[in-house]
Amino acid sequence: MKLGVKAAHPNTPSKRRKELRKNLIAYSFILPNLLGFAIFTLVPMVFSLGLALTSWDGANQVSWVGLQNFKDLLDDSTFRISLENTLWYVGGTVPLTMVCALGLAVLLNQPIRGRNLFRTIYFFPYVASLVAVAVVWNMLFFPSAGPVNEFLRALGVANPPRWSASVDWAMPTVIMASIWRNMGYYMIIYLAALQGIPSILYEAAAIDGANAWQKFRYVTVPMLTPATFFISIMLTITSFKVFDLILVMTNGGPGRATNVLVMHTYNTAFRQFKFGYSSAIAMVLFALVMIITIVQFTMERRWVEYSQL
Amino acid sequence: MNKWLNRRTANVCVALLVILAVSGGFISNRASAQDEITLTMSAWDVATTPYWQAVIDAYEAEHPNVTVELIDVPSADYQDTMNIRLSGGDDTDIITVKDIPGYSAMLTRGQIVPLNDLIEASGVDLSAYSGAAEELTYEGSIYALPFRSDIWILYYNKTIFDAAGLDYPTNDMTWGEFGALARELTSGSGADKIYGAHFHVWRSAVQLGTVQDGLNTIISDDYSFMAPMYDMVTAMQKDGIIMDYGELRAGNIHYSGPFENGQVAMLPMGSWFIGTLVAAQADGVFDFDWGVASYPHPEGVAAGTTAGTLTSLAINEESDNKDAAWDFVQFYTGEEGAKVLAGTGNLPALRTPEILEIFASKDGVPVEATDALQTTTVRLELPMHPNVGEVEQILNEEHELIMTDSLSVEEGLEETTSRISEVLQ
Repeated sequence: MKLGVKAAHPNTPSKRRKELRKNLIAYSFILPNLLGFAIFTLVPMVFSLGLALTSWDGANQVSWVGLQNFKDLLDDSTFRISLENTLWYVGGTVPLTMVCALGLAVLLNQPIRGRNLFRTIYFFPYVASLVAVAVVWNMLFFPSAGPVNEFLRALGVANPPRWSASVDWAMPTVIMASIWRNMGYYMIIYLAALQGIPSILYEAAAIDGANAWQKFRYVTVPMLTPATFFISIMLTITSFKVFDLILVMTNGGPGRATNVLVMHTYNTAFRQFKFGYSSAIAMVLFALVMIITIVQFTMERRWVEYSQL
Repeated sequence: MNKWLNRRTANVCVALLVILAVSGGFISNRASAQDEITLTMSAWDVATTPYWQAVIDAYEAEHPNVTVELIDVPSADYQDTMNIRLSGGDDTDIITVKDIPGYSAMLTRGQIVPLNDLIEASGVDLSAYSGAAEELTYEGSIYALPFRSDIWILYYNKTIFDAAGLDYPTNDMTWGEFGALARELTSGSGADKIYGAHFHVWRSAVQLGTVQDGLNTIISDDYSFMAPMYDMVTAMQKDGIIMDYGELRAGNIHYSGPFENGQVAMLPMGSWFIGTLVAAQADGVFDFDWGVASYPHPEGVAAGTTAGTLTSLAINEESDNKDAAWDFVQFYTGEEGAKVLAGTGNLPALRTPEILEIFASKDGVPVEATDALQTTTVRLELPMHPNVGEVEQILNEEHELIMTDSLSVEEGLEETTSRISEVLQ
């Protein structure tokens, strides 16, 4: 009887109850995470959105100012500079990290001697303490006697850049440090994706007479696009949020040359006690990241290959 | 059966635990109401700063029922960390006030308690602090009592002076004479290079000399008055008389390094460095002779004019032990605390002849210290102002731009003026 009913009316109470049960079980699995997200991320975000419309010093009375904070942003030279710096940092870090990670992954996917050792070496900066990384990096790029400039001088460069001690070179120095630190992590993702490419594709390409570059260009790169998509999203978001590396390497300087949006948020909140204004900056950053992520997702269909083999 | 027994045992255990917890809490509550008190106090770099614990030990010896626990924060992050903690309702009883921006931030936000009533009730004599208490008074109320009062002086390496055949700096030296002397003292190159002087990366190292005359203060609507000092320092940097700012910054080099390595002849720095040097010399970190002289001064300003900074103690609004905290603050900032501080090679805010004698007679403190520490006028490093935090950030950023030669002195000071006027209007 049950069988017959089920076939005739798929939405009988018993079927629906079963569905509900299934859904509830599924929800119960994600509940711990969802709860954590709601309490520690969603609530503070909504609170911060409200705060962005007020003026508050963190202790005294909160006063409603509407969109004034956002209007003030337009005249804030530090905001403009840190927005430019953030875009400059993201624009430099994301593509270069991806290229380096892909290059390393392809290289370390070859059957070479000691490749596990090299994989570990390239992954190491990612797990090393950030403060130590920053100190070592600053020492490598020390203007007068650092190994990098000694090397450049040996090559005949009379006046090598002053790296983190100069307004023009501070940001490139930070970008290089960031690439060096993060490429190992994304290399691992690319390595996993590379190993998922079926060898029959390369065999077919070889039969068609493809050379090494053509195999890379027409087999490897398209097959890696899902990984590339994932990495581009993750990297973009983390690059927009950069703070720690800059705080320890340059503290936003010289002057404001490496001041980024998160740093400006931090300074206005915890050094100048303008929590409302600071929340407004955070909201701008949030909107920026969201728009770019949405654009990335809408572009996804045009270039990402999800082949079914 | 076995299962039941287990459950029963578990129940009994839980019940016992509850009873224990409740009675335990009750007993300890009663006990603490009677005598046992634990106070907490915020401090920085506890491991390398011996006086924190020294004064606490002296206090605990007199008050066996009180335990004072230090909450250690790295000195560079101290004020940021405290701001965040206090915003989150932290209940540390005693808050050490490191600088004026921090003091200003905490008092305008009602996080520290006004002490006027307590001071009156306990009969504390504020005039004993020779003016320091007035500097901490804001709109008629005082929120902290000073325990250390440091002034800027000049440290010099006697061995370098002897080798160069030059006389030691006097207590009456202008900045012009200082600059000329530094040039004479500079010698060598590479690893053997001796720098005539050393300016630490702080903006105060350069800017304090510009407010000694009292005509201007660090919070101003026109910073062109700083030009002569910046011109001198940037010229010294260009000629290799002092170490390069950008490198000190990139290498995160503390001022004690170059001085203790014997690489620099003269170092303008706060009097807090005496204690560090005495301890380092005793530990055999370096073996040259060093001396101190008064801070150099601009032409036409009386010798002995210097800039100073106060370190003080405040009581947290959220503290549950305000009375006990006040008793401790009185001890720390009073005569007994001052004697212990002086014994560790630090300059207390309270300076009676007896206390200065303890300081000067400490092993390793140079004989010149007594005269060098005589002052005619002490200017506050930073005045009290509601926007002082924001102003200081701009000053730091522009200082960095001038010192890294990203902007000329003139451009940098113009930008400083225009940015700070925007904040102050």
